[in-house]
Amino acid sequence: MKYNLELIKNKKKIIGFSTILIFFSLLGILYSTFNTSYKKPINLGMDFVGGNELRIERVCEAECSNLPPDSVLENLREISKNNKNFNNIKLQFQNNNKLISIRTPYLSIEESNNLISNLDNIVGPLNYESKDSRLIGPKLGKRLLTNCVTSLLVSLFAISLYITIRFDKKYALFALLALFHDLFIVFGIFSWLGIILSVEVNSLFAVSLLTIAGYSVNDTVVIFDRIRENLKSKKEGHNETIQLSVNESFRRTTFTSITTLIPLLSLILFGSYTLFWFSLALSLGIIVGSYSSILLAPSLLLKD
Amino acid sequence: MKRRQGWLFFIIFLLTLSVYLLINYPLQLGLDLQGGSQLTLQIIKEEGKVTRDELEAVNSVIDKRVNNLGVSESNLQTLGGDQFILELPGEQNPLVASRVLGKTALLEFRTQKEGTSTNLKTLQLQRLSIKELIEQYSFAEKSQNDDNFLKVIQDDLKDIEQELNYSSTNNDLYGKLIEIKKYVDKEITNLFIKTDLSGKDLINAGRRQEQTNSNWEVLLTFSNSGGEKFAEITKSIAGTNQLLAIILDGESISEASVGNQFASTGITGGSATISGKFSAENARELEVQLKGGSLPLPIEIVETNTIGALLGSKNILKSLYAAISGLIFVGIFMIFNYRILGFVSVISLILYGFFNLAIYSLIPVTLTLPGISGLILSIGMAVDANILIFERIREELYDGNTLTRSIESGFQRANSSIVDGHITTLLSCIVLFLLGTNFVKGFAATLGIGVLISLFTSLNCSKTILRFFTTYQSLRLKNLYLPRNNFSN
Repeated sequence: MKYNLELIKNKKKIIGFSTILIFFSLLGILYSTFNTSYKKPINLGMDFVGGNELRIERVCEAECSNLPPDSVLENLREISKNNKNFNNIKLQFQNNNKLISIRTPYLSIEESNNLISNLDNIVGPLNYESKDSRLIGPKLGKRLLTNCVTSLLVSLFAISLYITIRFDKKYALFALLALFHDLFIVFGIFSWLGIILSVEVNSLFAVSLLTIAGYSVNDTVVIFDRIRENLKSKKEGHNETIQLSVNESFRRTTFTSITTLIPLLSLILFGSYTLFWFSLALSLGIIVGSYSSILLAPSLLLKD
Repeated sequence: MKRRQGWLFFIIFLLTLSVYLLINYPLQLGLDLQGGSQLTLQIIKEEGKVTRDELEAVNSVIDKRVNNLGVSESNLQTLGGDQFILELPGEQNPLVASRVLGKTALLEFRTQKEGTSTNLKTLQLQRLSIKELIEQYSFAEKSQNDDNFLKVIQDDLKDIEQELNYSSTNNDLYGKLIEIKKYVDKEITNLFIKTDLSGKDLINAGRRQEQTNSNWEVLLTFSNSGGEKFAEITKSIAGTNQLLAIILDGESISEASVGNQFASTGITGGSATISGKFSAENARELEVQLKGGSLPLPIEIVETNTIGALLGSKNILKSLYAAISGLIFVGIFMIFNYRILGFVSVISLILYGFFNLAIYSLIPVTLTLPGISGLILSIGMAVDANILIFERIREELYDGNTLTRSIESGFQRANSSIVDGHITTLLSCIVLFLLGTNFVKGFAATLGIGVLISLFTSLNCSKTILRFFTTYQSLRLKNLYLPRNNFSN
């Protein structure tokens, strides 16, 4: 089975496409920094800013009655007069009104228990066995954020070091360029998701960026290896050899990406909601990563 | 031939061992899978870093308190030099643990300064009315009373503020009440002089119900030297109008007079009781705190996660579905594209699963949701190596080599790029494991272990199985290794 990707012909298109992707990511990041309520490049979730997140199911006979969230909220505020934390509370019903999910600023365990018992009075009875409650203090949040950023920087540095040692300068530079391209685009997509769907990123998002970094470099390494191997036993011109090498490893690269995407897809479809955005970020990273390994990085190696 | 069979037996042996391990040492499940609470405690130190000695000292106090609380199967571990993680499995309420652990529990005994009796009496009265206001407030909060009630509280508070000549800047009514109460407490403790008797002189604490009413009291037992100090102190104020205050974390929980009959020897016997109108619960909490000793540095609870048991078992089920469907679809993809080779990789994958789980029970790795996602993700990565090898084998076959030769050189030539390719993923895992939080560590551990084991299964195991297959003449047809339509080219 021969593949025939016309890399040489389409160099400009490929680089143009990547530029557009980068541009849109940058746009999302800028918009998010200046034009949103949170004024950050990305919508930081509870892990990083602190707060209280609660998910609990109602016990209903057949179907759960439809309650307008606003009136529930009003009742909640009514009950807990003068508690400032309750002014900034978000409440949603999901899963046919069965599941209640609530976000508030940081509460102590005591306050959170009060909130739950108040909630029980308004929309109860609640199934406490289904409770998922997370309280994160603002101090810890800041710490987690620095922690994640350091992890990212350290591992990017380690990967860059490895690549520089393993390849000559030009190859290393383009492999890293492809890597940052992948990370930037996934980051940008989540900036947009934050703006449009108010999706928040938590520490698992940082983990997904790190994993993407490790994985996508891996793909580029394999293709660059093939290019180097073929250039040594040079039969055709420089550019033609690169194109040939890409076509030779095309099947291998797409297949490995597909086998990694399949389990991720089953995590998205069947896994716990905790892992939904994490699996999505990883999947996006792997798709963008394969694209940049197969098309972008080798195109950058082409001579004019 | 002998060597090949040796590998085969080795793999079968490993498989049996894994099954044995999994049956006898069941996997440890994290709280997000079995339900329970997890508290993160942070040591608060204004200046400088927390030293190792301080960390150990705080650790031992927390450990004692947790044990005395009687929570079953709790688990306490240090994290990152100044944090602790306390896990309470099952339906145990984290509230009690948080109340008991969050307090410094610094116990002091102080004697009243001379000539401050009238001053103290007014302050005691003010403290009483503040306490009542706080009770009224929580009552008003619970029952949906009209706002007039809150207004009454507000007005009463203003009167007290005027008396004290101190006003709170807090906007929140509850915050105001608490602030004023703290101020009164401070004023009261200021009327007493420190003695050298403290919580360190205790050897035990207990509680019992008072005989005359339903309140509880806490019993203190002093060490020998503590008993002597206590006798000395009580002797010095016996028969005077100076009181003895028992102060916990800067708040006086009891002020008592010492009768004239103790003027010659003081209160001997080495024990004392605090009767501060405790409820059964409060008395127990104080008992646990005093038994564990005071914390050398204050701690704060910075994170609490609670997961219901039902949600935990749902999470297990969901992860199981995800893992199995991932495995099945990857298997279908491989068999469809690589036929016999694909089948070999499916067997390696199943072995891979068993070895992974066996390693988890051996180390042991506590399985959490991120951990499971690492495992599931590593399924896909484990197949990567096989794809690299199989592609090489096919190329060799296309070049007209024999099957045995193609297999041998396929494995050989793919070796270096497989090891290379996994290095970057391992690098990320190591960084995550070293720097990550508890939550993240689980993912890094399972992914890292997975990548390492996959090197063994996809190189050694697949090779051995493939060699075993090719000993059967009927399985040696080249077209079983290549898609039919391509073979005719």
